Amino acid sequence: MAAGGAGRWFLLPGLAFLFTIDLIPLVYSAWVSFYNWWLIRPRDVRFVGLDNYVRLGVDPEFNRAVVVTTLFTAGAVALEFLAGLGLALLFAQPFRFLRPIRVLLLLPLFVVPVVGATMWRVIFHPEVGVLNHYLTTFGLGHPPWLSDPTWALVSITLVDAWRTIPFMFLVIYAGLEVLPAELFEAAAVDGASAWQSFRHITVPLLTYIMLLAVLIRGMDAFREFDIIFVLTGGGPGTATQTIQILNYRAFGLGHMGQANAIGIVTLVLVAVMCFVLMRAILRPRGAAQA
Amino acid sequence: MRTKAFFLVLALMLSSTASPAWAQQGKSITLSMLAGYKEDVLRASLPEFEKKTGIKVVVDASPFGDLYKKQLLSLSTGGRYDVLFMDEPWIAPLSEFLLPLNERMKSLDLADFVPTTVASGAFQGTQYAVPVDPNVQLLVYRKDLFEQKGLKPPTTWDELLAAAKAFHDPSKQQYGIAITASSDIQTALYMLLAIWSYGGELVDNGRGSLNSAAGKKGGEVFLELLKFTPPNVKSYNFADVNKAIQLGQAAMAIQWASGARPMEDKTRSSVAGKLGYALVPKAVRQTPMRGVWTIAIAKNSANQDAAWQFATWLSGKEFGQAAVKFPSATSAIHSPRFSVLKDAGTKATLPYADTLLASLQITKERPRLREYADIQENLRVTAGKLTAGELTLEAALKEIDAGTNRILGK
Repeated sequence: MAAGGAGRWFLLPGLAFLFTIDLIPLVYSAWVSFYNWWLIRPRDVRFVGLDNYVRLGVDPEFNRAVVVTTLFTAGAVALEFLAGLGLALLFAQPFRFLRPIRVLLLLPLFVVPVVGATMWRVIFHPEVGVLNHYLTTFGLGHPPWLSDPTWALVSITLVDAWRTIPFMFLVIYAGLEVLPAELFEAAAVDGASAWQSFRHITVPLLTYIMLLAVLIRGMDAFREFDIIFVLTGGGPGTATQTIQILNYRAFGLGHMGQANAIGIVTLVLVAVMCFVLMRAILRPRGAAQA
Repeated sequence: MRTKAFFLVLALMLSSTASPAWAQQGKSITLSMLAGYKEDVLRASLPEFEKKTGIKVVVDASPFGDLYKKQLLSLSTGGRYDVLFMDEPWIAPLSEFLLPLNERMKSLDLADFVPTTVASGAFQGTQYAVPVDPNVQLLVYRKDLFEQKGLKPPTTWDELLAAAKAFHDPSKQQYGIAITASSDIQTALYMLLAIWSYGGELVDNGRGSLNSAAGKKGGEVFLELLKFTPPNVKSYNFADVNKAIQLGQAAMAIQWASGARPMEDKTRSSVAGKLGYALVPKAVRQTPMRGVWTIAIAKNSANQDAAWQFATWLSGKEFGQAAVKFPSATSAIHSPRFSVLKDAGTKATLPYADTLLASLQITKERPRLREYADIQENLRVTAGKLTAGELTLEAALKEIDAGTNRILGK
């Protein structure tokens, strides 16, 4: 009892740290979002209540940004999850040169996002880009990667996938490595096919790991900024204008109330996304157990 | 003995209030600078300034897209910059935080400055910045191609359209003109340039006024011009316009003068020496857009005298001449001084020096409003929507005006 009581005190430094770096700025940010505060007018800071939020709600540009952000997040996370899972399953089988290939696969993870995006901007370049050069050589045309609204959304999704598939792979692969081998051996003895083993052993045992990976990536993709900013700046038009691009613009122009309101809305949307995702994935499992 | 000591202390006190040059010895000032683009030129000459004055200059460089944001945040929060390299449209929005320089300007040889460049540093009758690097849009054309076809460089938008059409041959990867049509700010400025020429204004009588007959005509010409551009101009930025010329793909371009220098670099440009320069086309008037880079001093700077010394050096003839000679492939700083721009050495190095000076003398400034940064951002976003096909021209002009009026509280 005494030990348990003392143990709680050990939480204190961690809680104090979290309180300082998370909670205080968050509350301050929420507080600022209730103000009309434009940095170029330092003597005209006014409390406006929920005005900044109401404006966002009726702003067609913001509503479109929510749609674009959702499309990008869903597309990127789905692609990354499927590719990461596929690679993890592939690498779970022993083969020659597994270790060096595994290291190579992880390289994009270590590239600074801005540097990676700048590199891709050159690769996608219509005149001097290497991608269209080879596509044209093989008669596959020269897609307008960054200049067509649909292609631009596809391009930023692909670059995000390039950078973060290794993360998905790493998490799922780590999960696969610790699955008990005897279950698969027993299933093999009972005549289960590879698909049946995957469907009825791997997937249920990896659900939490996969959920964790999807949640982390989902939160990350929803807040993605660097890649989109460097590759398209939100264009063409508003085709890739996400919530974070709008937030950057509002901060850059010194609209602190509006920018903080966008930040708080992002937080709420990410929380809702996580809640919905967890309910959707965990409910069937809970119901089955019941 | 005590009397001597008293006079010595008195003399020191008096000399410190007078602040002669040597009093700045050992001082350090922090400069907010544009990264890469002009930074190289500055850094090459900086040791000379530091040696001469004893003032150490700490350079904090940021790319163009971040520079205004960083300066705004720093100035409005009592930040660390003493002196700031600023694009002229930012002076009105940031004037609240800048040191008025009217008195100090009297010590400069103002007759040597192109008058419009001095005006670029002023807002509502107060001088907040000294011109350093005058930029203006120019028409760049391939002299060799024009000679082959027996054409003269266009002087009107109609002639420009006709020339662009004449040179446009996508099957040979030869395009009429290189401009941007992306969400980049340059796109909005190209459209504004055309609209200005037809007599339109972004803001008139305190209200957004692009949705006019002149606005529509200028907008139509801009959209028509996009038919003769390289493919993928919807992802172009400033550097891509340069690339299209350097690779010999475009017969013409409208580009800021600072972009012309790399076009003349033989190591990077296949058309160096084959380019001609002219004033941007006119319709009812000729309105080359002004974009002067200036140097301003933070109002809360503790090193205002040292900062002023730096500002005068940077806008001076000596630095201007050094910048002309700097063998840069990507950077260019042009002097705002007649004595440098008219110099034979400058003309030999910069084939566009005459056109730059002629353009500067008739150049048009963007609206001088404290809200201008927001107005230009609204223009940028909406012009991007227009070129992406999200809006018709009429809807875009209406949306720009509505945004401008909202920003101005009308």
